Amino acid sequence: MKITPIEKTQNFCFIIPALVLFLIFSLYPILRTFQLSFFQWNGIDKDMLWVGFAQYKHILFNNPAFWKSMLNAGYITILALTLQNGLALLLALLVNKNIKGENIYRTIFFLPPVLSGVVVGLIWKFVYDGNFGILNYWLTSLGFTNFADFAWLSEIKTALSSVAVVHMWKGFGYGFIILLAGLQTIPVDLYEAAEVDGADAWQQFKNITFPLLIPIITIVMILTILGSMQVFDLIYSMTRGGPAGHTHVPITKIYEYMSNGEFGYSTAMAVIFGIVLLVVSFAQIYLSKKFNYDR
Amino acid sequence: MLKLKTFVSVSICLAFFVCSFSGCGKNKNEQPKADVVIWHWMTDRQDAFEKLAATYLEETGVRVLFETYAPTDVYKSKISAAATANLLPDVFNPISDKKEVASYINAGYIADLSEDMEKDGWKDIFFAKALTQNTFEPGNEWNVKPGIYAVPLDVNSLMIYYNKDLFTQAGLDPENPPKTWSEFIEAGKKLRAANIQPFVSGFGEGWLIGAFAQSYQWNLFGKEGVLETIEGKIPYTDKRWIKIFKLFEEMKNAKLFASGVVTMVNKDAERSFATGKAAMAFNGSWGVNVYLSMNPTLNYSVMAPPSLPEAQFPMLMFGGEGSSLFINEKSPNKQKAIDFLKWLTQGPQQTFLAQATLNIPSNKTVADDLSPVLKIFSENIANTFESLPKIESWQVNNFININLQSVIIGERTPEEAAKEVQGEKERQQKAAK
Repeated sequence: MKITPIEKTQNFCFIIPALVLFLIFSLYPILRTFQLSFFQWNGIDKDMLWVGFAQYKHILFNNPAFWKSMLNAGYITILALTLQNGLALLLALLVNKNIKGENIYRTIFFLPPVLSGVVVGLIWKFVYDGNFGILNYWLTSLGFTNFADFAWLSEIKTALSSVAVVHMWKGFGYGFIILLAGLQTIPVDLYEAAEVDGADAWQQFKNITFPLLIPIITIVMILTILGSMQVFDLIYSMTRGGPAGHTHVPITKIYEYMSNGEFGYSTAMAVIFGIVLLVVSFAQIYLSKKFNYDR
Repeated sequence: MLKLKTFVSVSICLAFFVCSFSGCGKNKNEQPKADVVIWHWMTDRQDAFEKLAATYLEETGVRVLFETYAPTDVYKSKISAAATANLLPDVFNPISDKKEVASYINAGYIADLSEDMEKDGWKDIFFAKALTQNTFEPGNEWNVKPGIYAVPLDVNSLMIYYNKDLFTQAGLDPENPPKTWSEFIEAGKKLRAANIQPFVSGFGEGWLIGAFAQSYQWNLFGKEGVLETIEGKIPYTDKRWIKIFKLFEEMKNAKLFASGVVTMVNKDAERSFATGKAAMAFNGSWGVNVYLSMNPTLNYSVMAPPSLPEAQFPMLMFGGEGSSLFINEKSPNKQKAIDFLKWLTQGPQQTFLAQATLNIPSNKTVADDLSPVLKIFSENIANTFESLPKIESWQVNNFININLQSVIIGERTPEEAAKEVQGEKERQQKAAK
C-alpha cells in the first residue's frame, strides 16, 4: 500500500511530541556534554575556554585516581555478575518449581531493589558501624571478640567488599524477576520429553534451561554491568569514596569534579566513562550472540 | 475518515505545544511574592528568620521571604543553575571557595558592598575575621575589583570539645585540658586505657581532616610559609609537612582515633561525642547547638588544638566567617536587600539570632551575652586562619585529605603521603600551564 504525502505528514505529526521530548531531554544533553568536554568551564563564567583534547589527555594519562575508581567499579561489577546473578538464578529456579507462597517470595526478593539507594546505604552503614553496628554485635555474641569495634567501611581490606555486598543485596531482585519471567517462557513439554529420555535435573538445566535462558541472561548481565558500573547513591551515603579514596567509583569522581566547579573536566570524564560502558556492553552482546542457542 | 485522522493528529500536536510552552511566558499582572527574596540552606534557622522578617515587615512595610533549600550540595547546585539561567534571587550564597565566588563576581552576579559597608560604620560592628573571607584585596589573583562582597550573619571556629565526665573517669583533670601535643597524646592514651574512645571527628568529610591539618600548617609555616607552599616554592615533601602527617600517625599509634573515623561524616561524629562514646571531638562552634539537641545534660568544655613545641608561629584555627549572604547585583530590589541585611546585623536582631540558634553572631558588640562555651569560641575568632590572596587548588587539598586518611589507616607512611601530595601538586602545576 502506498502512503500518501498527507498520511506521511499525519504520521510525522504523531511522532512530533515524542521526537521533541527526545531532542530536548536526550539528544541535546548528550551533544552538550560532548561540547562541554572540550572547554574549561566552571559553570559560572560567561566565557568558556577552549582546551581541545587537553582534558581527555589529562584524564587518560594524568589522573590515576579516575582509573582506580574504574577498577573499583569493575570489582563491584564482577562480584555482581557472579554472586548476585548466581543467587538470582538460583532463587528464580527454586521459585519456578511451583513451591508454596511463590508470590510472597517474589515480593520479598523484589523489595530491596525498589528501596531508595540512599536509605539502603544509611541503614547498612548502621549495620556495619564499628561502635553501634548490629553486625559486630552478632559477631561478638558468636565469640568473634576481635570484631567488637571493627570498622568495616574504614578498613582498606573490607571497605569495597562491604559496599559491594550491599549493592548485591539491593540488586539481586531485578535479576531474579527477569530470570523468573524467562524461566516461565520455557515450554514444559521440553522438560517432559527430557524426562522420558531419562535426563536428570542437571542435564535438563544444562541442555534445556540454560541455553534457552541465554538471551535473558544477556539482558540481566548487561543491566548488571550498567547498574554496577554506575553505582553512586550507595557509595555516597556509605563511604563518600573513603577510606582514602578506596571506594571511589567513576560516578563519584565525576560528581566530585562537578561539585568543585570543573564542568568541562567532569563531562570529559563522563564521555570516557560512557565509551567504556558502550564497549563493554557491545562486547557482552557480541559474546552472547556467539553462544546463543538459536544460532 | 481521513479528515478525522488529520484533525486528531493536528490537535494532538497543537495540544502538546500549547501545554509545553504555556509555562514559558510571564504574567504581567503577577505580583512578586515578596520585596526581597532570600535563598538559604540553614534549615535550623528558618523559624528565627521568619520571625525577624515579620518584625521587619511591621517596622518598615517591606516583605522579606526566606526560602530554604537543603542540604547544602542541593542548594549549591540550585544557585549555580539559577545563575546560568539568570534567575538568582535578591539574596543568596554560592557556598563556594574564594576562587568560585570570584567567578560569580566577575560574571556580574554579586554586588560590591564596600560603599554601603563604609556608611554609618556598618563594617565596624563585625568581627574583623567575619569580613575577610569575602573581602578581595588589591592584586588578588582572580582580578576581582577590591572590596567587600558579603554580609556575615555569624562567625565560627573549630576547636576540640572534651567530655569532662569521661576525662574524670580516665583520671584526667577536666579543668586543665592538654595544652601541648605530648600532653594531648598522653591524655588520649589514658582515655584508651580506661576503655574510652579518645578522639572523634567527621574525618570522612575531607574538609574537617584538612582543617585539623591546616592548623598545624599555620603553626609550623606561618602565613608566608603557607603562601609559599601554595605558590609551589615550598614542596609538600618539606620536613614540616612530613611532621604534620606524622602527627596523624602518632595519633593512630597511640590509638586515639575512634573506630571508623576515616569514613565518618560529622553528624555521626557528633552523635558519638554527644552520647559519650568518645571523649574528644574536633568540631565547629555550631556543635554547641547540635550537642544540646542530642544530649542536653552533656558536661563538656572546649580547648584549642595543642600547639607543637618546635613551632615558631601561632596556632591558628579554621573559622572566621560562618554564614554570609550575598546580594544579587542584577536585582531590582538591591537597595531594599541591603537595607534589610543592615537591619538584620544590628544588635537586637543579632542577639535574637544568637539566642534562638546558638551560633556566634557576626556582630561583635553582642558577643558578651553568649554562653560560656560559645564565649570561648567567640574569643577564638581572632585566632582563625588569615585571609590569603591565593588558595591551594581543590585537587591538591583533596589529595592532602586522602593521604591523611591513608596515614591513619596505615596504608602510607608520612613520607609516602607527602610525596603523593607533591606529585599531585606538580600535576596540577603542569595542567595549569
